[in-house]
Amino acid sequence: MELFLEINTEEMPGAHVKTALEQIEKGLRKKLKDVDLVDKNNKPGDIKTYGTCRRLVLCAETPAKQRSKQDVVIGPPKKVAFDKNNNPTSAAKGFARSNNVKVSDLEVIENKKGEYIGIKKEIKGEKAEKLLEEILPKLILDLSFPKMMRWGQSPLRFSRPIKNILCVFDGKPLAFKVGDKTASSHTYGHKLFFPKKIKVDSFKNYVSQLKQKKVLIDAEERKNRIEKQIKDKLSSLNARIYPDNELLEKITYDVEYPYVFLGEFPKNYLKLPIEILSTAMKVGQSLFSVVDKNNRQIPYFLGVTDGSPDSKLLVQKGNERVLKARLEDARFFWEHDLETPLEDKRALLQKIVFQEKLGTYDEKTKRIQKLARFLSKAAGTKEQSLVQAADLCKVDLITEMVREFPSLQGKSGGLYAKNQGYPVQVWKAIYEHYQPVSQDDPSPSTTNGAVLSIADKIDSIVGSFGIGLEVSGSKDPFGLRRNAQGICITILDHKISLTLTDLIQQSVSEYGSVLTKSQQELNHQCQAFFKDRLKYIYEKQGYRYDLVNAALEAGFDEIYHSFLRLKALDEIKDTPEFNSLIIVVKRVNNILKGQPKRVIKPDLFQEKHEIKLYTEYSTLKEKIFPLISAGDFRGAQEFILDIRSTIDLFFDHVLVMAEDPQLRKNRIALLRAISRLFSKVADYSQVVVDMDQL
Amino acid sequence: MSIQQLIMKLQEFWADQGCYLAQPYDLEVGAGTMTPDTFFRVIDQRDWNAAYVQPSRRPSDGRFGENPHRVQKHFQYQVIMKPSPSDIQERYLQSLRFLGIKIKEHDIRFDEDNWESPTIGAWGVGWQVLLDGLEITQFTYFQQAGGKDIFPVPVEITYGLERLEMFLEGKDNIYDLKWSDDVTYRDLRLLEEKEFSEYNFSQADINVLHKSFSMNVREARKLIRKGLLLPAYDMCLKCSHLFNLLDSRGAISVTERVKIISQIRALVVQITKKYTARGGS
Repeated sequence: MELFLEINTEEMPGAHVKTALEQIEKGLRKKLKDVDLVDKNNKPGDIKTYGTCRRLVLCAETPAKQRSKQDVVIGPPKKVAFDKNNNPTSAAKGFARSNNVKVSDLEVIENKKGEYIGIKKEIKGEKAEKLLEEILPKLILDLSFPKMMRWGQSPLRFSRPIKNILCVFDGKPLAFKVGDKTASSHTYGHKLFFPKKIKVDSFKNYVSQLKQKKVLIDAEERKNRIEKQIKDKLSSLNARIYPDNELLEKITYDVEYPYVFLGEFPKNYLKLPIEILSTAMKVGQSLFSVVDKNNRQIPYFLGVTDGSPDSKLLVQKGNERVLKARLEDARFFWEHDLETPLEDKRALLQKIVFQEKLGTYDEKTKRIQKLARFLSKAAGTKEQSLVQAADLCKVDLITEMVREFPSLQGKSGGLYAKNQGYPVQVWKAIYEHYQPVSQDDPSPSTTNGAVLSIADKIDSIVGSFGIGLEVSGSKDPFGLRRNAQGICITILDHKISLTLTDLIQQSVSEYGSVLTKSQQELNHQCQAFFKDRLKYIYEKQGYRYDLVNAALEAGFDEIYHSFLRLKALDEIKDTPEFNSLIIVVKRVNNILKGQPKRVIKPDLFQEKHEIKLYTEYSTLKEKIFPLISAGDFRGAQEFILDIRSTIDLFFDHVLVMAEDPQLRKNRIALLRAISRLFSKVADYSQVVVDMDQL
Repeated sequence: MSIQQLIMKLQEFWADQGCYLAQPYDLEVGAGTMTPDTFFRVIDQRDWNAAYVQPSRRPSDGRFGENPHRVQKHFQYQVIMKPSPSDIQERYLQSLRFLGIKIKEHDIRFDEDNWESPTIGAWGVGWQVLLDGLEITQFTYFQQAGGKDIFPVPVEITYGLERLEMFLEGKDNIYDLKWSDDVTYRDLRLLEEKEFSEYNFSQADINVLHKSFSMNVREARKLIRKGLLLPAYDMCLKCSHLFNLLDSRGAISVTERVKIISQIRALVVQITKKYTARGGS
């Protein structure tokens, strides 16, 4: 049966809507399972969610009733309840009477103790309505948002004030209360254009009525509508929008029924860099900037209105006027900032706090500089331009541009440096050093940029952890996860050969006595943190989780090597040889379980196949280490695959658990040595094998 | 419609909504929120509805009268209602209609913007209201003030009068606005902007500011001890403005900034505790 729910609120931020919808889906699934509102396979029905800034919507299929259960009441043993002639005794009659059933309804029930008589009762499931009326208020009250608020005299905490709750099950309203709101079968259309009550009885009817009343509940539909209208508006201009997924996503949730409009701005602002123009349009007014085929800004912008097209062009004119003022400001900042060379502003960094306990940006800059110098060798870049870039990379924090548009940090500095004639190795590194700022953002394109990015980020991570700041759940105030991911991705993209241990140690030592944690403790914490991030990155890139674990468990201190390990595993994951190897490894590990460590005594080997295995092991040992340190995990793995058949033969012909304890111990020692060698390449025991394929 | 007509209209509208029409507070403040008609009335538990114009000073926003929309003093229209009425958004939209704005022909957006004022230990959740891309109002459900959770929850609506007037007159330059039919914003304010920008950025004596600051802090402490909380709060407002002036003079170092803010905040928190302990009177 169809259940749907709409929580109508004042305008929520898009991020709140998204997290709430995820929680609603998961929460309902769990709660339906908990009360047994599930199908025969113990699964809840289909659950779908939709949302706008003013609505959280849920639509689900659920059974009409709770699954029925069988209750068994055990009575006296069969021997006691029936006599030799199979007639009921007084015990049976008494049991039947006390349970309000006839003697003929008694059944024989077998359990561990023997045969008993008893009664099987069918307990009918409760009606879904009743259960849902209990579940749904809890579901709503359990929602948590990045920032919660209260309003009026309501006892509730939510993202924004709740205005109305619609809830219909099987065509009829469900009756429950959340705070001072009672659920009903009505809702409202678009706030400005259709504020009157509408009554709904099915989800289909709800969706179609809302559509007529200027509300599209499906974000995908709104996004497509925006994209299509953008295309239409730009078709005659032979142009496209400057891509900005973040902005598109925001607008998609900010409006319930989008209409796109086109506007213009005076050409003289085109001399501003596109980064600045597009940011001035985006921040505040949420406008898209428009570029030609060569990605050059042209004097147009696109905006989105909610609920009605701008037929009198008032919205367009208004936005044009506001934008002109913003661009005028931006132009003023740009020209004013350019007047003073970056190095002349450098000293002002002493006035800006990086973090209360970690000091100023001047101090941070000095640490970044030293870290960059340390990293330059590993990355193979020239020191001088790098040191200059490091010295200036934070200066744009004191420019008016960044004060007005904080998201332009780094980029502004780079653009100023470029316009003030600094060499490309310097300005580009400054420009790129915050990258990657998100999953979609590329890592720095230049080596200098990459080095600066790593230096800046590790300094933030080590510093924050070093004074006891923690990252947990949704709490990550300094974006440390993003910073660590940024470091990993940059190292991977630039194939930088560097151990985390060295990087962390260097960063800790730049801090001197500022940090409250010991180097060892910090190293431990950072390693675990980076391991998690690498896992996240690799899985996001589509690698199998078990292969990711196998690669990381073998070591990730050399971040780039962890990727090579993973790639080597990934390349052979579907081959039969690989599966056989995994089986052998598991067998070896089972034998080794609980066995003490011992040294191999080569002269104790006597059988042909163990001698062969030992010889091959010795060769392998010599060959594999140079390959590993060169990062040739593919090559190392080839050798491991080669020795596998010898291990098979060993198992076929040699009895590991020999009666002679000397022989036994020696064979186990050999297997352990081989296992240890394997684990330098990957922890094969983490790999999950599909037994059916064997 | 001139600015003074705009003010009269808003007064009429919010008086009809049951607000008491307060007069502007007679000290320099950064925002209407800081005045006693808001601050002391949100930290107790009684109902409160008030509306008033509040001149607000932000010394570092001064531009010597040369920027068409940035000024070191502007006028806010402040509405405070506690508890927040459930239809407050609708009432607000109604106020715009009352000003003659045909909102269906425009684009009205409630865009996430959470307000906070660390010096008075206050924060809230809400939006900036955009009218065709122009920010005309700050709309906030107060959650904390004086470091204390507030309940019942007040809503604060702060109209930027100049912004709204620029929209109504369709003008690009703040100084071209009409205050009345024959007095412009330029006539009233240009000289003030020029002279105060000079004072804020160059002439304010840093030593004098520092000294006044410490004197006011001492005075506030004494007044708190004596239970004279309203005068003590005035001292905090003075400190806050002195801090803003020091800031625009570029005279505040990193560590000082943190220290000064927490110093004022601590005083306001003490005032709040004492004020609520004696039942908000």
